[in-house]
Amino acid sequence: MSRKMKNISFITGIVLLFFVLWGAGSFASPPEGFSGFGQSTDISPDDSELVFSYYHGDDAALYTVPVSGGKAELLAKPDEGKSFLNPAFSPDGGKIAFVEQWEEEGEEKKQRYSQLRIVDREDQTTETLMNTNDYITKAVFSPDGGSLFFLKAGVFKNYSPISSERPHDFDIFRMDLKTKDIEQLTSKEAYSMSSLNVSADGDQLMYKTYGNRDQLVLHSLEDGKEETIVPAGDFGSKAPIISSPTLSPDGEHVVFSDVAAKDEQGTYVYEGFRMDLDTGKAEQITSFYEHVASPVFFHNEDKLIVTVDKNFAGAEPDNSYWQITADGKERKRVMIEMPES
Amino acid sequence: MTNMERHVEKILEQMQSPHDEREEIREEVLNHLEEAKQHYISGGFNEKQAEKRVLSEFGSAETIGNQLQESMYPYQRGLLYVIGIGTILFGVIFYLTSAFFLHNPIPVWLAIQLVTGGTVTLAAINISFVGRYFYLVNVLLLVNVLWNGINIAIMEVRPRWQAIFFGIYLLVLVGLGLVAVIRNAYYSSSPAASKQRHRGMVLLSHIVNLLFGLVVAGVSLFFLWALLAFSEAKADVILTVVPIIIWVITYKFQMRYIPKKPLISIATGLGFSVLSIVLPFMILRLL
Repeated sequence: MSRKMKNISFITGIVLLFFVLWGAGSFASPPEGFSGFGQSTDISPDDSELVFSYYHGDDAALYTVPVSGGKAELLAKPDEGKSFLNPAFSPDGGKIAFVEQWEEEGEEKKQRYSQLRIVDREDQTTETLMNTNDYITKAVFSPDGGSLFFLKAGVFKNYSPISSERPHDFDIFRMDLKTKDIEQLTSKEAYSMSSLNVSADGDQLMYKTYGNRDQLVLHSLEDGKEETIVPAGDFGSKAPIISSPTLSPDGEHVVFSDVAAKDEQGTYVYEGFRMDLDTGKAEQITSFYEHVASPVFFHNEDKLIVTVDKNFAGAEPDNSYWQITADGKERKRVMIEMPES
Repeated sequence: MTNMERHVEKILEQMQSPHDEREEIREEVLNHLEEAKQHYISGGFNEKQAEKRVLSEFGSAETIGNQLQESMYPYQRGLLYVIGIGTILFGVIFYLTSAFFLHNPIPVWLAIQLVTGGTVTLAAINISFVGRYFYLVNVLLLVNVLWNGINIAIMEVRPRWQAIFFGIYLLVLVGLGLVAVIRNAYYSSSPAASKQRHRGMVLLSHIVNLLFGLVVAGVSLFFLWALLAFSEAKADVILTVVPIIIWVITYKFQMRYIPKKPLISIATGLGFSVLSIVLPFMILRLL
């Protein structure tokens, strides 16, 4: 074959190859989005039910299931493109507060929204408490059920070009559920604030924030005084990287997840830790060798439910829920049968 | 053109020798054939018979050409074929897995992959024409190395077994690309032009010079990545690849300078590399 022929055949071949592959690729089904369990859960006050988010094609709906496992029931389903996240039971178990998150194409870039909603289990209605003017990330009921404490971000942006866009300028607010009046409890405009908890006696709040390092803050509801705690323990990272801290019902312990070790790929392995609030000392209580997150206490038993992500470093999580004893010695997976959607 | 001249042209078609070297080879081979022809004529053959005999004894032009190319520029053409076709093959496999496993095929990516693999393969096919322009071949190869380097960076988000397989595949391709660039730069100066004891120094200088280039590319691509990933990218994006462009342009000078002054050219290479990074920063400051 002459060189000219070789060139012509080669170029034609490459062009044909491109169109064949392009055509073949367009037959492939479009991305279906993530389907699976969400991270954050809550347990009903009588310890009988677990509420959680389940994603169908990137949209998370809320479901309930008996804490020991079984058939899940749909609680509330969002409109397409939206997700219901971070559920929290009311003290009587009749209502569940949660946030609704979604994205919309804005003028220049995508706009993120996160609004506060509440679902009444009796009459099956869903109400919006705070609309899209505010970016709410987490809400919890006061122990008397009369009000909601929530975290609100002032902005959603990236301060540094090498960080991704996140909510910032956080403060804590309280909403009276009868009058819907809102009271601002802090004026910190904090860079980060998360995992809001209320103590069982309703005297203080606990949240996680960042100031040189991750730390826990106890906020007195009486006088607004704050106490900062940095857990001491045998963590796999230099400073503790606290995730989803939760107050125990007796108010003596905090369970959170933190780096316990690194795996072969250098990915941090998060396990559950339990800290004594008096001493600040934390000890590891789980050994899943996976990513452990979002511990939630039972109200009347010395047990917790944690979320375990078996694909933490991957593109999509692979969450499952596990019951563990408070000392971490026993564990059992909560097997969930999802209804047909 | 006589049959013998045509035969020699066909031989030269398989070779990447630059102009002067081609003239020498052309003259040498023609002389050799002419002598053999005279030998047969004096042995009683007529001119046509003698020519036929000589050419059939000399062997097919393609084989001789390939042999000469391999003896003067060993493995260079083969390397180009392997890199070019390897790049195309990667495009096919990766695109299909993206489409059918991850449901996210990107046709623009495929087009770039096929173009960079295709140009390197075309350089191998047209070695007699393209191979003479050593700088051009190196630019084609460097673009290929750069692109496959970017591909390695995006493997991180793949499922684990895919990331490992594709990662190794790409590392081999990038490695071969760099070897081809260094060898090509080394062969660009004819061995006779510099003293034999200099040759080791020249090779070392080429390698060091290319390492500078890799650092420049790394810095450039890091800023490009940071800009694309974390901010609303605009005109600044173009500025982040300016160091690569400056380095590639000065590389043409370096390729000619290294065989003459291998030691000093390490210093000029470093100078150009620093300049290529500093200059865009200064422009950014002034703007």
